[in-house]
Amino acid sequence: MADNVEAIQKSIKWYFIIGALLILFSGLTVGLSYVELPTHSLNIIVGMILATIKAALVALIFMHLSHERPLIYKVLAFTVVFVLALFLLFVFSHGDPLEFEGMYLHNE
Amino acid sequence: MDIPYTVHARPDTGLYNAKIGVWLFLASEVMLFGGLFSAYIFLRVGADYPWPVHDLDVTLGFINTVVLIASSVTVVMAWAMLKLRKFGWYRINMAITVVCAGVFMFNKTLEYKAKFAHYAVKLSDGTFLTGHLPHGYLVKFGDVTEFAITIPVKNSAVTADPVGYVLPYIEEGMAPKFKTEDGKEVVLDKATFAELRAAALKKAEAEKKSAGTFKLTATAPLKIAAKPSEIFGYTDTTITFRDGTTATGKLIDDKMTLEVDGIDARGVAQPDNSLAFDHRYLPAWQKAFVANREHHIAEFEKNYPTRDKARSATLQKESLYFKLHSATPPEVGAAHGEGAKHGAEAHPPVAHGAEHGEAHHPTVTLEKKDITFFSNFTPKLNTYYAIYFTLTGLHGAHVVIGALVLAYFLVFDNKRLKQDPEHLANRVEVGGLFWHFVDLVWIFLFPLLYLL
Repeated sequence: MADNVEAIQKSIKWYFIIGALLILFSGLTVGLSYVELPTHSLNIIVGMILATIKAALVALIFMHLSHERPLIYKVLAFTVVFVLALFLLFVFSHGDPLEFEGMYLHNE
Repeated sequence: MDIPYTVHARPDTGLYNAKIGVWLFLASEVMLFGGLFSAYIFLRVGADYPWPVHDLDVTLGFINTVVLIASSVTVVMAWAMLKLRKFGWYRINMAITVVCAGVFMFNKTLEYKAKFAHYAVKLSDGTFLTGHLPHGYLVKFGDVTEFAITIPVKNSAVTADPVGYVLPYIEEGMAPKFKTEDGKEVVLDKATFAELRAAALKKAEAEKKSAGTFKLTATAPLKIAAKPSEIFGYTDTTITFRDGTTATGKLIDDKMTLEVDGIDARGVAQPDNSLAFDHRYLPAWQKAFVANREHHIAEFEKNYPTRDKARSATLQKESLYFKLHSATPPEVGAAHGEGAKHGAEAHPPVAHGAEHGEAHHPTVTLEKKDITFFSNFTPKLNTYYAIYFTLTGLHGAHVVIGALVLAYFLVFDNKRLKQDPEHLANRVEVGGLFWHFVDLVWIFLFPLLYLL
């Protein structure tokens, strides 16, 4: 852990650099959201990638996850798995529930 | 009793206890917000209306993003300064963090307030008009004399209470007096109503009826004005209050006066002939609407010759959601001639010193029969605003709680600062971790709700 005096003094510079980077990425997200990509889904994907990078910076540097004890990683591993499961739940609602294999209820 | 391992790490975990505690808490917080983000995905995938993009105040949202990032830097700096025993700098950084939280919430208040005062009115052809209601929206009745009051004998969800549900809507200064069925003149208040109620119930029980009824006749014709949400319903001659009391009179006015700042014709089969351009409403704006549409379609064809126009939600919005910035339509052609100005976003000069809201937007008087639905920009309007208020409201609550915790360390933990700064540093680290989490949530909320 960066708990000794020198390590903390060194990391102070980084806190400001990361802060500036985060603001830069936010500006970039705003700018790119006005660019009309071929589909809007691409806009969403680009925006979410940028947001994930920002979130990673906050978690790794500000929240010191870049050098944390194994126990915390174990706790968070569960969280990541379950939260991803939550995000993917919508897949089950995406298909037409009235449409079964070999049987189409609508005319084609 | 002292809580163990608040300063030094517990040998088996390698962590001081509060840190494990806060990470377990944050793990559950991730699941809480994860569930709501999941709901966002469901609502967006299943939305049967164009999902609002760039409809919120992006500038305000961006300012709040910068404010939260700045506070994230200062809260981790506060911790670092405490570790380095630079107490003055610790205080300054912590104070900035708390001030940032205040600024964030202040901006949030501005944003919410604007949403509460802004309305969307769905017309019968699917057009949405957005704007402000300068006089609110009231249903007005005149010549109201007779009130029929029904009191169910058995307990019921609705029970007559004209004192609470009728009197407030009688125009002020009318001091209503009523005649009962047996010719007695009364002033309606709780005590009088209780007597009348008891008598009616007694009579109903004697006649074995399920409800007692009686009539009150106003000694002079009354005027009634109420918001549609405050009453149960009305026809041309009757008005039913939420307690079931029905009054007979004459409908004077149920027209809605709207200062229109937007015409959204995305849900209309023939946008050019939207009901908004009916001769009673905004016929003068039809030309500007069409010019704006043609302008954006031409721009799109020029910039993206290979793309399908029908599939671009942005083009749909730019060409069919027309924003009004002046009381009268801009000169068609002037704004688009050289393509210098961006579509209908042209602002014609407004008379200096003009009252806000009067010179900026045209006012229309909408007839009730043309209105299918109206709401301010609150969860009632659509699922986007429902999830917007849920997510930002819960996030705002986290900002407030985080700020309170950090302010407590700053203001009330000075004894610990002097006697055991290492313990306070750990507290600040734990509070800071929560604060970073709040920032982390906003990192996703801002693009999802404001930008994409």
